[in-house]
Amino acid sequence: MTERRARFVQTTVEVEGRTETRVVEMPAFEPAPWTADTPLSIVGTSPARVDAFEKVTGRARYTADIVRPGMLYAVIVRSPIAKGTLTAIDLDAARTLPGVRAVMGPGDAPALTRLFRREIGYAGQTLAAVAADSLDAATRAARIIAQSLVFDVAPHAVTVDDAIAPDAPKVRSTGNTVEPDIVERGDVARGLADADVSITREYRTPVALHSALEPHGAVCEWNGDHLTVWESTQGIFRVRADVAKALSMPQGKVRVLKDYMGGGFGAKNGAGAHTYTAALFSQKLGLPVRCMNDREAEQTDSGNRPATLQRVTIAARRDGTLTALVLDAHIPLGISGWEGGPGQIYHELYACPNVRTSETCVYINASGMQAFRGPGYVEGAFGLESAMNALARELQMDPVALRRKNLATRDQRGDRPFSGNRLDECYIEGMKRFGWSSIIRPPSSAIGCVKRGVGVAAQTWPTGGGPPSYALVRINSDASVDVLAGPQDLGTGARTILAQIAAEGLGAKFDTVRAIIGDTERLPYTGNSWGSMTTPSVGPAVRMAAEDARAQLLEAASQLLEVPVEELTTSNSVIHDLSRSRALSFSDLCKQLGNLQIVGRGSRGPNPPGVAIVTVGAQFAEVEVDVDTGVVRVLRIVAVHDAGRIINPALAESQLHGGIIQGVGYALFEERQIDRARGVPLNTNLHDYRIPTMADIPAIDASFLPGADPIANHTGARGIAEPPIIPTAPAIAAAVADALGVEVREIPLTPWRVLGALVQ
Amino acid sequence: MKLTVNSTPRDVDAGRSPTLLSALRDQLALTGSKLVCDRGECGACTVRLDGDLVYACLTLTAACENAQVQTVEGLATGHELHPLQQAFITHDAAQCGFCTPGQLVAAAALLERTPHPSDDEIRSAMSGNLCRCGTYPKIVTAIRAVADAGGAAK
Repeated sequence: MTERRARFVQTTVEVEGRTETRVVEMPAFEPAPWTADTPLSIVGTSPARVDAFEKVTGRARYTADIVRPGMLYAVIVRSPIAKGTLTAIDLDAARTLPGVRAVMGPGDAPALTRLFRREIGYAGQTLAAVAADSLDAATRAARIIAQSLVFDVAPHAVTVDDAIAPDAPKVRSTGNTVEPDIVERGDVARGLADADVSITREYRTPVALHSALEPHGAVCEWNGDHLTVWESTQGIFRVRADVAKALSMPQGKVRVLKDYMGGGFGAKNGAGAHTYTAALFSQKLGLPVRCMNDREAEQTDSGNRPATLQRVTIAARRDGTLTALVLDAHIPLGISGWEGGPGQIYHELYACPNVRTSETCVYINASGMQAFRGPGYVEGAFGLESAMNALARELQMDPVALRRKNLATRDQRGDRPFSGNRLDECYIEGMKRFGWSSIIRPPSSAIGCVKRGVGVAAQTWPTGGGPPSYALVRINSDASVDVLAGPQDLGTGARTILAQIAAEGLGAKFDTVRAIIGDTERLPYTGNSWGSMTTPSVGPAVRMAAEDARAQLLEAASQLLEVPVEELTTSNSVIHDLSRSRALSFSDLCKQLGNLQIVGRGSRGPNPPGVAIVTVGAQFAEVEVDVDTGVVRVLRIVAVHDAGRIINPALAESQLHGGIIQGVGYALFEERQIDRARGVPLNTNLHDYRIPTMADIPAIDASFLPGADPIANHTGARGIAEPPIIPTAPAIAAAVADALGVEVREIPLTPWRVLGALVQ
Repeated sequence: MKLTVNSTPRDVDAGRSPTLLSALRDQLALTGSKLVCDRGECGACTVRLDGDLVYACLTLTAACENAQVQTVEGLATGHELHPLQQAFITHDAAQCGFCTPGQLVAAAALLERTPHPSDDEIRSAMSGNLCRCGTYPKIVTAIRAVADAGGAAK
């Protein structure tokens, strides 16, 4: 049937903007790509979310809704100081309180869990934990322990300046800064010399908190030597690997389950303090234990988007042709974090022969960063796109024209073509929808103290996804279909779109197909739901499994109908020949098969070699700024993105809305505040850390270009979740600069920053 | 202590659950209402108490004796969804779904009070219910659709 070929090969995949080399398994066959012209009847339509009924009736069970017989509640005690040593802690007083079952403190947890250490590196670090019959009893006992803490307090550093000062306290024993990561191509000195115009700007972005409404949490239950973990996570298999490693147990004895999840946004990619605390108490006590972060813990110690300081020099010829881009960035990561900075988008968004980025990561005594929707690119886009808009003003050039003059037609970093990149069409469609070309700016005094302005920004983000991902498609004896695959639905709609892809590949009615996800014990492996990867990674595996099941159905039908298999096809849960004179419904065929079960198997093949796979887009903003109060109001956003094929337009539009609205928050409100003197975060609740409310939302016109990307993978779909947040803040900042005639170079654009820029 | 929840008489122990949210979730297994901020900032625990919208995390159980409480679980009539629930499904007004129960209870109260709200009235009335997924535009659309169809009245 197929010729023999190498089964295991090396390939590159991109995760959260980083490229990794991995060994992949070549699938036994690859279905022919669904091109833009392939007639599809289920993919590309918008059936309602398959789990919407459970969500609107309150029946959807999230981690905190899981109740197990005899379940206990665990609460973690956290450090009130940023740096120092815990010299005394009294756990005994808490042990004797009513309802308290067990207490853990320093020395009571395996080292790999990183729980309960005496050396303190940030406020919010775990010191001890209590398990009790009720949440109230556990909380009361935790307060008693907190009152007993004695510290040897040491000087801390919670700002870049404090951490890089000559006499700075040592945040980490290995030093407070990481060697700068410098990436250069071309000849920047020559590019600067060749320029007619060059500007240098300094931009600052804040620490932003994911603020998922469902906090991090887990319910853990031991049964003999077997541990079950219900966890709110973007990666059940990663949680399983983390827990098995930290507790020195085989992965086969850890089962991780995730049914419904109240948002992740990048902060829920592995096991955490809550997981280990619940697992250890449950092991010790022989009872199930639930440990959920309260809101303060969630806003203090569950990840963040790190701040950046970006010094940008951008140089161009008089006609707008870029000759050099230079970035010098400092990124305070917190106590830990991966070193993903704002530099990459500077290399990727525009055609420019000479680019140099330097990123210096700095450790500070604050909770560590975690990936947050579009990590690095969101921060970088604010610097790069703000500088592009400043350059456009300097050149007295339309900012869209400047961008279109410098379109990247190839991936310059990898010197390779794109699988598809229709950013120019995004600009054209966006201008049309926004009415960009027809806008003649009113003199800014026209509306009294309220000024209006417009702005634009663009984005790119690697969205190819990649292997490994596996799926099974199982046809039951009544012809209902189960898709078995291991991803998780964060609220994105993965459950729905995987069922759509399977139904399309099988030729089945959509409502006969359900996707079963989120169980490490019973489902094939798929990776974390991060990096906008689930659709392009798991989608092709599901399609292949469905095509495999379909081939088996056709083979069986061919025998029963006595029609050659090449003359048969499927649609709408019916097998028929091409003239439709012979037909057999799936259910009739399955009746004849009885309990013979058809199982299709699929896996994600490697990415095509030598191409870059990205999702791109442009956003346009209109704002109103009250120059008396400094209050900025976003009136409307028009967004046009290109992500190849869209599996479910309604769900994809929801993703665009979500990214844009988080971008509005990043632009206007969101900023973690840390008290520099005490080193503790100040706004650890949802009132003082302000996320957008319904009253803050502009009119949003968000869309994807129609089409497909059959080069990226055989479903034609690229990722969509992270791209829409990337250009929103710089587009809004550009509109504010347009309204005021001066730039505000630090977000969020709070009233005092706006007024400050006006008096300068 | 007696109260009526979703038209059914119930007994709860106010000593064990100081807040109404805990009584609903931990004693009555009505887990639709969510604990998110625990201080009246987000609206995920929104329920109705004798018809008024309250944050269940800030409502003392002891103050609810003989009261009528309605939660998201009480919106549907048997298997028949409330028009707002159907509209939330149709217009994709629930992404992760965690804030959805509070949004629905608040929206139902809005439409009883103001059957034909303007979009500004919807945004203002609903601004106490946070959503981090950014589902707001579709929530407005869903509420608008029910109001326009005159389907708010129970």
